[in-house]
Amino acid sequence: MKTKTVPNMAVQLGKLSLKNPVMTASGTFGYGEEYADYVDLNRLGAIVVKGLSLKPRLGNPPPRIMETAGGMLNAIGLQNIGVDAFIEEKLPYLRKYDVAVIANIYGESYAEYQKVAKKLSAAKGVHALEVNVSCPNVKKGGLSFGADPEIAAQVTRKVKEETDLPVIIKLTPNVTDIAAIAVAVEKAGADAVSLINTLTGMSVDLKNRAPYLKNITGGLSGPAIKPVALRMVWQVVKRVSIPVIGIGGIMDAGDALEFLMLGAKAVQVGTANFINPYATTEIIEGMQNYLKNNNLKDINKMIGTFNEGGSS
Amino acid sequence: MAKNIYIGEILKNEGIRENYFLMKVKLPESFDDPKPGQFVMIRIAGLSEPFLGRPISIYSFRRSKSSAEIELLYRIVGKGTQILAGLIAGSQLEIHGPLGGAYAVFPEKENIVFIAGGIGVAPLSLLAQYLCKSVCIEPSRMSFYLGAQTAKEIVGLEKLSSLCYNMQICTDDGSKGRKLFVTQAFAEDIKKYDPVNTAVYACGPKGMLKALAGIIGKSEFHCQVSLEERMACGTGACMGCAVAIKDKSGDVAYRRICSDGPVFNLEEVIWE
Repeated sequence: MKTKTVPNMAVQLGKLSLKNPVMTASGTFGYGEEYADYVDLNRLGAIVVKGLSLKPRLGNPPPRIMETAGGMLNAIGLQNIGVDAFIEEKLPYLRKYDVAVIANIYGESYAEYQKVAKKLSAAKGVHALEVNVSCPNVKKGGLSFGADPEIAAQVTRKVKEETDLPVIIKLTPNVTDIAAIAVAVEKAGADAVSLINTLTGMSVDLKNRAPYLKNITGGLSGPAIKPVALRMVWQVVKRVSIPVIGIGGIMDAGDALEFLMLGAKAVQVGTANFINPYATTEIIEGMQNYLKNNNLKDINKMIGTFNEGGSS
Repeated sequence: MAKNIYIGEILKNEGIRENYFLMKVKLPESFDDPKPGQFVMIRIAGLSEPFLGRPISIYSFRRSKSSAEIELLYRIVGKGTQILAGLIAGSQLEIHGPLGGAYAVFPEKENIVFIAGGIGVAPLSLLAQYLCKSVCIEPSRMSFYLGAQTAKEIVGLEKLSSLCYNMQICTDDGSKGRKLFVTQAFAEDIKKYDPVNTAVYACGPKGMLKALAGIIGKSEFHCQVSLEERMACGTGACMGCAVAIKDKSGDVAYRRICSDGPVFNLEEVIWE
């Protein structure tokens, strides 16, 4: 028998309350308005905006993307309008919606991370910061901040000094032990961790004996990386007590629920937005239907229910 | 809410030349009239490969009482278009569009000049069709320079001949028309056109457009070009389809071909 009441989809990530566990992944949803024609932004758990830096960034020369088996590589190079233009031009638009706005931030030095964090904390309408310590595309910084536990912890401390907003550290998978980084940032005061960012990869043009991407390497995303993301989320949830946000190749409600079962409190949908602009709301509806069909009244009843000892 | 993703049915998908295909797709009547220069993102319904949609410009459009029909003229350039070429009539496609901006039209200009290289003929054909039928530009005012490497790659000629009186065909090897680059053919004729009274539209390989930029240089010709690049989303979110342009202050900036373009003023594009 199916339950008649609408199941509860709200989740709590520390101080951050979300209508449902489905967020957009940074860099795949623009600044929100790019998708407003397709998605009622009010229905989303949170919008994580395109990564913001202190000054506008030009980005990498093209070609910037290439399809690969079950996914894609990108080397956008963090092209963005800069934190000031975001606050002035994009945030007022997002404030019109009843949705949590999470600003993804990026810096090339501790001081830059701090300045960006401070500006966003003073602006009205930002509900949390997600700190990119993992973008693999920019040669300076990027990778190194997130690849070393102590440096990642230091970024966390520095950002926390400048803000009262919840701070989510977005972890890179391009490390030997991602759980060690998660533990380090938790100790440094991170309110949550999100993982995984893209896996560094490359794609070779046999005919021209050349790389397909001008940047040569890029970040791999899409369904191809989901098994890696699941494994890493599984490793991290065992080692930290702060909320974990699962990211990596989520295409449908089933994928999202797999991450929640492992113990993630929320998920981010990224590359799926590119091939289906309705992906986020379809996933929310699909999760609701799953709960109804399984007589579950609350999405929280799914979280962390993974049965390690069982097998199918 | 935009509802511009449709399931279309392939009515016809035929090889018209080696590696060149013409696909006719039936769409619901709610499909918007495409403006010349716009494109659609195509995915094969129900298939996970190719993973990303493929951007293809609209070659022709026809509306009937209860449905719309688009034609797509495309060339096999990689895995995605190879798979598209293998689809049979009756197959279903996810069609997202029409997307992107359109060519600006100038009915008051005396001459309309089109310069197409290879598959670049596709969006310019829709434009010629539009100018002729919707803006009522007389065929005598339209000149079309159509070039390709060889005669085999000259496609779409039949349709254009009925729209433009002045058809100039060029091939690199001389197997059809004049043996020279299409941009050179235009350069030879350039004195026939009053720059202020001529609109130039071009689409083709980067090398061709770069050469055209050199020919037009600092003259007063107004030239619009439509560009292509690999895309992921087609709607401006992924920032994947970047083109370098000179912005208003003269600095280099990257614009998105899908949503800031695909049509750009030739003078603002920076060529490597």
